Amino acid sequence: MPESKTKTTPKKIHLIVGARPNYMKAAPLYEELKKSPHFEITLVHTGQHYDEEMSGIFFQEFHLPKPQVYLGVGSGTHAEQTAKAMMRYEEVLIASRPDLVVVFGDVNSTLACALSAVKLHIPVSHVEAGLRSFDRTMPEEINRLLTDHISDYLFTTSTYDNSNLSREGISREKIHLVGNIMLDTLSRYLDKAKKSAILARLGLRVGGCIHPYALMTLHRVSNVDDRKVFSRILSGLDQAKQQLPILFPAHPRTVQRIKEFGLAEYFHVFDAAAEPLTLDEPEKIIIFPPQGYLDFTCLMAHAALVLTDSGGIQPETTFLGVPCLTLRENTEWTVTLEQGTNRLVGVDPDRIRGETQEILKSDRPSPQVPEFWDGRTAVRIGEIITRDKADA
Amino acid sequence: MPTKNIHIIVGARPNYMKAAPLYDELKLQPHFHASIIHTGQHYDQEMNKVFFDDLGLPKPQVYLGVGSGTHAFQTGTIMQEYEKILLDQRPDLVVVVGDVNSTIACALDAAKLHLPVAHVEAGLRSFDRTMPEEINRLLTDQISDFLFTTCEDADQNLKNEGIPESKIFLVGNVMIDSLLKFIERAKQSDALARLGLLKADAAVQPYALLTLHRPSNVDDPHTLVGILDALNTVSERIPLIFPIHPRTLKQVKAFALEDMIWHVDRPESIPLDLSPPKVITIPPLGYLDFLNLMAHAALVLTDSGGIQEETTILGIPCLTLRSNTERPITITEGTNYLVGSDPEKIVSQSFEILETGGKQGRLPKLWDGQAASRIVRILTEVL
Repeated sequence: MPESKTKTTPKKIHLIVGARPNYMKAAPLYEELKKSPHFEITLVHTGQHYDEEMSGIFFQEFHLPKPQVYLGVGSGTHAEQTAKAMMRYEEVLIASRPDLVVVFGDVNSTLACALSAVKLHIPVSHVEAGLRSFDRTMPEEINRLLTDHISDYLFTTSTYDNSNLSREGISREKIHLVGNIMLDTLSRYLDKAKKSAILARLGLRVGGCIHPYALMTLHRVSNVDDRKVFSRILSGLDQAKQQLPILFPAHPRTVQRIKEFGLAEYFHVFDAAAEPLTLDEPEKIIIFPPQGYLDFTCLMAHAALVLTDSGGIQPETTFLGVPCLTLRENTEWTVTLEQGTNRLVGVDPDRIRGETQEILKSDRPSPQVPEFWDGRTAVRIGEIITRDKADA
Repeated sequence: MPTKNIHIIVGARPNYMKAAPLYDELKLQPHFHASIIHTGQHYDQEMNKVFFDDLGLPKPQVYLGVGSGTHAFQTGTIMQEYEKILLDQRPDLVVVVGDVNSTIACALDAAKLHLPVAHVEAGLRSFDRTMPEEINRLLTDQISDFLFTTCEDADQNLKNEGIPESKIFLVGNVMIDSLLKFIERAKQSDALARLGLLKADAAVQPYALLTLHRPSNVDDPHTLVGILDALNTVSERIPLIFPIHPRTLKQVKAFALEDMIWHVDRPESIPLDLSPPKVITIPPLGYLDFLNLMAHAALVLTDSGGIQEETTILGIPCLTLRSNTERPITITEGTNYLVGSDPEKIVSQSFEILETGGKQGRLPKLWDGQAASRIVRILTEVL
């Protein structure tokens, strides 16, 4: 009830996380807002990503507290996840009536919670607004587009995002260019990450020297669930894998697919617990389980080259100055192509081969980092929210 | 040419008169196979049947039966249920109409499954984000592949939101297709006689017609009392007939305002006493009966969307009890006035219209009964 609020009553803010890519975006903002006596912060986990164990590790790494609200949505089709998150979060909203709901990124929870809030006339902030791949077949694109159209605060990562939103008629006063919050987390943990023992464990650090390697991540259904596409990517790497080890942290599901597709001969499955890695099988891509944030960041920071179909790795490699080849036909991170180290190569073997060789032959690019990708994005968001909400 | 399967989604009453002409037109084409999917968002089975019969719609091929509930509950339940149908049937096109929760829920399901979506009545904007319908419209338009609009300002709204012109088709108003098709039959309905609105010489007894259901008007006791007060004042000059929405009746009772209305549960059996002042509430009417009442009214007062358009076509003065409208063409070209929920304005504008007969409207472009056939012609080209 607004009447019962006095000036000293802190404003209630919900931060919504649903899946792993959200944690490194929510963590810096949680910490920033937590400092303010004006706000009472509640972390809401929709449970969209149901891998409890993995979520646990990630939460610890980012010093996020146990979520105060857990919606337990679980896995399912897009409609199931979105619907359950909407319905369960609406109950929470009706009971606790926050003053602001903050959603991150582009997962189903992002759209679901934003929609529940807006129908109850509760203001919504979208962090990482305005990204567009212009590919409507990506479920994330639909989530981004719709979330942006119902948000009251659109916190963007670059001028490209601002242009996208303006083109969609979203009024300028709602749009705030604040930079890339994911890189707050990266810059904060980078030194710690670089000290990770992962390189030694993989036998890639010998004394003070690091053996050159490439790092690959693939998780998109369009890339790993289609034998033909997967094979094309692998054949694009035929030359590179003779030149340097290619590390491929992969989900067990992907390992299973590789076996089903009869592509196992391309890979060396590495189990760090059982054996030390030997680099005498240069023909094979080294596959091992997914790593936590610090270990993965360490691998990324020291790689000669990163190949990926993920969204978040494109800005991270740009920030780190590591060359990145994006194995997709389009990207929502246009700024990393125009200003950063990213190149879009799709899944065409010749292009993958050509671009890989070009990168391996040339010097490391001098990093050019987009404006406000400086580790202070959460501070900027905090200032705007404080300005508008603290004394409202 | 292989037959294309098309789902037409209906959820609530205002959808039916938009779906019906389109269903009829699609049925004429051998290359289309249309199915009616009813989400059950509006769950009064008896009233649904009256509307379907009035409009000549077939029994829905699929009934999802979601029932009433909060916005998230309805939208979420429809999404889960309709996704199963989509996975099973994979239609070539999903047609959604209007702006109810079923509209966005089914459009979102289809878009995520890469099935094309057509939105009929696209581009309408009240610019009032507190209206749930505005959110539904806005989001549905963003994910639709074919946006069928009723007027030029809708086209402009869509362009302002960055929607490419190639997706936008100005086709006119399908609801008006239904109105023009059924108006003669509606005028033969015995509703006027049944309700005692005919004088001994068979001339129509002057009356005003009222509908009111919007949360912003009926959920706040202060606002509702103000409106009912104004209506009672208007009823001193002309009897008000008010087919009352169940949710409005519920609120009237919840706020103990029964003495501000005269409720007649079975108007057929009790002749209505029209002596003023009286706001006479009766149960909701079917499509034809309501159309007949609208066509003969001296004045219509409403907070509905569609009635603003229907009165414009019928040339009946309309007072819209809202502070904004997503159908501004009914004000600039039609017979509509926006008066909000301010009691004084409701009374003064009503009195003025009763004295002057209201403004002379003209028919908006393409509101000619041919909208559905234009849509089907376009679908034939693009699918």
